[in-house]
Amino acid sequence: MELARRNGLERAVLTLIAVGLVLAPFAGSRLLIYNLTITALYAMVVISLNIILGLAGQVSFAQTSFMAIGGYGSAILTTRLGLDPLLALPASAVLAFAASFVIGAPLLRLRGHYLAMATFALALGTNSFVTAATPLTNGSIGISGVPPLAIAGHAADSAISFYVLCWAACAAATGAFALLAHSHIGRAWRALATGQEIAASLGIDITRAKLMAFAIAAVIASVAGSLYVEFTSFVGPDLYDIGIVLNVFLMLFVGGRGSLAGPIVGAALLTFAPQFLAGLEQYQNLVFFGVLLALILVWPSGFFGRTRDAAPLSEILPPWLRRRQPAR
Amino acid sequence: MLLRASEISVRYGRVEALHSISLAVAPASLTVVLGPNGAGKTTLVRALAGAVPLQSGAVSLRERNITALPAHRRVRAGIALVPEGRGRLPGLSVLDNLILGRHAAVQGRRGTREADLESALELFPGLRDRLNQDCSTLSGGEMQMLAIARALLARPELLLLDEPSLGLAPLAIARVYDALARLLERGLAMVLVEQKAVPLRAPREVTVVLQNGRAVFHEARRPTVDELASLYLGGRAA
Repeated sequence: MELARRNGLERAVLTLIAVGLVLAPFAGSRLLIYNLTITALYAMVVISLNIILGLAGQVSFAQTSFMAIGGYGSAILTTRLGLDPLLALPASAVLAFAASFVIGAPLLRLRGHYLAMATFALALGTNSFVTAATPLTNGSIGISGVPPLAIAGHAADSAISFYVLCWAACAAATGAFALLAHSHIGRAWRALATGQEIAASLGIDITRAKLMAFAIAAVIASVAGSLYVEFTSFVGPDLYDIGIVLNVFLMLFVGGRGSLAGPIVGAALLTFAPQFLAGLEQYQNLVFFGVLLALILVWPSGFFGRTRDAAPLSEILPPWLRRRQPAR
Repeated sequence: MLLRASEISVRYGRVEALHSISLAVAPASLTVVLGPNGAGKTTLVRALAGAVPLQSGAVSLRERNITALPAHRRVRAGIALVPEGRGRLPGLSVLDNLILGRHAAVQGRRGTREADLESALELFPGLRDRLNQDCSTLSGGEMQMLAIARALLARPELLLLDEPSLGLAPLAIARVYDALARLLERGLAMVLVEQKAVPLRAPREVTVVLQNGRAVFHEARRPTVDELASLYLGGRAA
């Protein structure tokens, strides 16, 4: 009933997005295409977080760390070792996959706040590490001149070809999310999100299930990181600042945890909104985050959220401000 | 013996929740665990299911030591738990729940998906119309039946049930216990935790009464109402 209606709404929104994306290049705005490309890449990172948080219910701030592996991996492999960008991208993804096991095996034994804190430290450390590892990463200056991807001799060096490439990757990530959510591991993740003990009582190996979510998400974030760097031809520590991962969380919370269309809508909103608000000058961030806070208060589970058991933030509102809660 | 717990103790930090409990569960038998709130009943079934580590003691299944076996592997070994609070999984449909339960069974013991679902629905026909419904919309009684059906799909030899009647209407309790009686007849062994009475009899049964983490009654008969009252008020049966 309700599940079906929500799925219908999401399908309609995804169709609308697809139509919009096909029409967007005809608007002739380079800025629009640029922003939409960035949206696609962030949406991928949000999807990766959605697997960990929206499906498996684990809070991890490590997504930008895996983005950094993709970004720096591609930059270093292409500029230092002269590897083809088309090979550097999967090579970095393999590296991110391996790193997710090395990092995940000890960290994923932690629960709840402890996992969040440990991955938060990892996110903070990532930025410091790439700044400090100068011989490898060129420190705070970063690496520029990263060559673009070339597929079968056609270099994706125009804005429009990157736009197509990035949205194709984002569509693939969305499709992967849909498949995973309805597969057996998706069911296991959703059971895990409710409680580790219930999941274990259903024969689910929780450490393995978490590690799988972590590893799949790492690969998606790494691919997005590689594409980002090949798109802008530059990588530097600022791309993996702690603020970025917080933005990724906001994108997911605004869009809706566990949903299919949510990451794209959330990423678009947080990419475009600051530019619409640019006229407000120094008040830009204040208004922006004020609106975000209001959105989350009104829709605690986001536009397309499914996490109905999540702590409803609306409960912190004074009674006269509360929306009436539907009876369960 | 199907399951044997030897002098198991469990600690939560500095609190000893279970003190040296021994239990032997025969195949196709009923073990009733009674006791007031906080007596250690839930801890006992959780310990048998592998959800809490033991401070000391050992658990064996068919004479194989499973003390170190983690919870998810005990399910595959044949011990299924219907947890307190019924293990509701919001966002998952009734069908999703059943499929999850089915996947908990070892590959060899699993039937086809259709046959497995049919066996679950035959026991709880009320779930048939609700397969595609989010399980968070089920009533307490329906959810309890789903939790049992889900656990049974793991093809256990031993079913651990933690207060299945808690918070249910009398009619729902009757339905749940009807199903449990049929399962006993089919030869499933059960460890059944309740606070007071258990409306279920079996030819082979043992009753354990817990008080402050200790077994204060352990016999092949049920305690009388008077005995139970004095046990709950502390001390041993007169």
